[in-house]
Amino acid sequence: MAEADQQQPPIDLSKLFFQSTTTRRRIIASYWIVVILAIPIWWRITSIDRLSLPESKVSALDTRDLRLPLRVGLQSNVPGISSNSIETQLAHRLKRDAESHCVFFESAPVDLNRQSTPGTYDVVIEPGAPNLLLDGRRLSVRSQGETEEQVLDALTNLVLPSSDGMEALRIVKYSPRFRIAFSLLNEDATSGRSILSWDVEAAIKRYLAPALEKLSILHNFTIESQVQYHAPLAFRPHEIQIGEQTAHSLTQEDLTVFVNSAEWTLSSSVSNDPVIHFVLFVPSADDSPLYILDHNGTPSSADAFILPQWGGIVVSNNARPHLKVADLEHTFVTFHNQLLSLLGVPSLPANVDYDYSLPFTDWQLDALVRLRTMQNVENSKETLRSIVALVHQIENMPVGQDVKGDVQGVLDALDLVFAESSSSLMFALRHSSDALTRASRAFFNPGMLALLYFPAEHKYAVYTPLFASVAAPLVATLAREVAAWRKTRREQA
Amino acid sequence: MSNTLGMYRTVKRLGIPDSNIILMLADDTACNPRNKFPGCVYSNAARNLDLYGDNIEVDYRGYEVTVENFIRVLTGRVDPSVPRSKRLLTDDRSNIFVYMTGHGGNEFLKFQDNEEISAFDIADAFEQMWQKRRYNEILFMIDTCQANGMYSKFYSPNILATGSSEVGQNSYSYENDNDIGVAVIDSFTHHILQFMEGIDKTSQKTMQDLFDVFDPVKIHSTPGVRSDLFHRPLSQTLVTDFFGGVSQAEVFLPLIDTKTSMPPNGLDSKQPRAQDDPQDDAVDDDSGVFPSIRGSYDADLLALSSGKISLSSQDGMPARGARAWTSIALVGALVVWVGIRTRAKR
Repeated sequence: MAEADQQQPPIDLSKLFFQSTTTRRRIIASYWIVVILAIPIWWRITSIDRLSLPESKVSALDTRDLRLPLRVGLQSNVPGISSNSIETQLAHRLKRDAESHCVFFESAPVDLNRQSTPGTYDVVIEPGAPNLLLDGRRLSVRSQGETEEQVLDALTNLVLPSSDGMEALRIVKYSPRFRIAFSLLNEDATSGRSILSWDVEAAIKRYLAPALEKLSILHNFTIESQVQYHAPLAFRPHEIQIGEQTAHSLTQEDLTVFVNSAEWTLSSSVSNDPVIHFVLFVPSADDSPLYILDHNGTPSSADAFILPQWGGIVVSNNARPHLKVADLEHTFVTFHNQLLSLLGVPSLPANVDYDYSLPFTDWQLDALVRLRTMQNVENSKETLRSIVALVHQIENMPVGQDVKGDVQGVLDALDLVFAESSSSLMFALRHSSDALTRASRAFFNPGMLALLYFPAEHKYAVYTPLFASVAAPLVATLAREVAAWRKTRREQA
Repeated sequence: MSNTLGMYRTVKRLGIPDSNIILMLADDTACNPRNKFPGCVYSNAARNLDLYGDNIEVDYRGYEVTVENFIRVLTGRVDPSVPRSKRLLTDDRSNIFVYMTGHGGNEFLKFQDNEEISAFDIADAFEQMWQKRRYNEILFMIDTCQANGMYSKFYSPNILATGSSEVGQNSYSYENDNDIGVAVIDSFTHHILQFMEGIDKTSQKTMQDLFDVFDPVKIHSTPGVRSDLFHRPLSQTLVTDFFGGVSQAEVFLPLIDTKTSMPPNGLDSKQPRAQDDPQDDAVDDDSGVFPSIRGSYDADLLALSSGKISLSSQDGMPARGARAWTSIALVGALVVWVGIRTRAKR
């Protein structure tokens, strides 16, 4: 065999069809073409879609501040009080802290017959028994010796209610939608002292509907109610002696942990709207009567308290099987007041009277609307800024078309707010709420989740085993082929 | 898992409603067929306290526990269809307590068996939360091997972080249950929970008091505390600011938790056992029960027993960069070498 092999002429490699230079070069070229064609595809599928956001417009927002006009018509029929001087001083006061409240003063003629519009007020000062009366968006001041200063103070308080820190903490955050959950909780219905049912629907209609109706320009309310027959407290109230009687008490500390959230189911979880809770708590026979102690440790007459941003609680020592609408008056008037303070309806200055059949005055409503509009605009701006900052900061964060659209939507809505702010307060509020919703939606867009962090070594760990083995022969053959081609050219030349 | 459930029980006892707690459990050990005593997970080998109980709400379970879901919960970028109970609905007045445990290493924590979350991911998520004002303060607590690396990358304000062990150090389990053959609770968590048992809703204990009970000798690792991002003095920060639902303080505290899969470690109280002295249910067992076992099983052993090993990389950032460049250099060298060889052949 070995001899036979030797006798055969050696195969001329260059004669084999697959060793023809053209074929070989075509094969190599086809590999390279595939690689080169694949690069854009690879680039496309591994790159992150980051659309550019309208950053210049977002940063331009910093210089645009909301300015809500306050048109006040002043008329003084009392000698010694000049409406002009009140006007100048009011304008001056509003200007002084323009930073914090964004309203500015505009003088308007007094017109007692015009339709009441938010943001436009009439103030009439007349002689008579001292009295400040609000009627719609009109303030009638009866004065004998009232000084300008007092009128001015009352007026400033009405248009710009001052709120201290505690109040600000109590108010729930703005949301276009709220759920209000009314719960009648019996600590232990089997103990003999319990309220088994209540006319909650009629009570809400009678005591709360007017307020909710007025507030409906700010929020959309959904109401639910429930009765629970076994809602134990997580702690035992302390026993105290009041005269002959044994009573039970809740200290201020107890109040902070009153809600037994582990065992009370207070609202259904069918939607993501924020919930405001109202609880009527009926202590069991063992724990009643139940009183709230004041800071000195003595039983107070108060039977209700507010948990900031959460809701209100009323403790009822008056158990009967069924509560009719009339029986619920005290409870629901308390709930009403708690609701107003939770939603941030400002309180009136002490010396001002109004028509008490109304839940609250238009002055308060306007002040709240102005405050909420301003907060919404601020929040939307801030959210936009943080979106832009985060997109810069986190390089792996994708920005999709819907995020871009929402950001543009916020900018448009804010433009509308600025445009409407001088003409219609209610439209400004609506657009500011829209801007806030869109801004949150853009920020929380599920597509904006940054890719998980991959350190550089991970990338090499993924690509090296794949490409090193392929790349080495590819590059080597290419280099060899180029060398061969140059060699033949040199020989030919 | 008993780490997590222990924390869950504690915050719930201190008044955080279930609706504000997001509990993530990667494995359903209580109902695992390999659990000798189904339906229960105990806080220690003496089986005094069933952590699983009858009132537990697990929000993310099993394969839902992923890095992506965790980041989505933190940043709030969840699908619109996700229910309220699975969302972190916090605002700028909320204090958040994040507790994580599992198998970890330098700057990462393993999720399930196929992915891991890195310190950068969490740091970025916290920054996004800060930008959207989703928290007032965060307490971040992690119990893994080399846990302290996990909070080293944080850069957002108002975060207080604590971890069970330094980089390069293992975190050890507290004790082992011989009946089910696994460790039940980690040392670091056990000591924190013991401290927490002495606290009620109106307690005035501060975070400083909590950090003072950390004893490296007892815990068998060196716990770390990072407070440079936190702007309140620790001695004026109440423990209940993070662990308790005290409404006056405006506390809103979701617990986020994750645990990589572990073999069943629950035990059933229904089976009467001779050595099972019924003790007061509310009291965690103290350390004297199985002194001989203490510290003899570590978290890595725990990982081994379930067939999953978490290796921890020890090198820091410069070494990592060097390694990356080395791999490039290697590929380059290979190409050059092939080229030279072919040329030399001709």
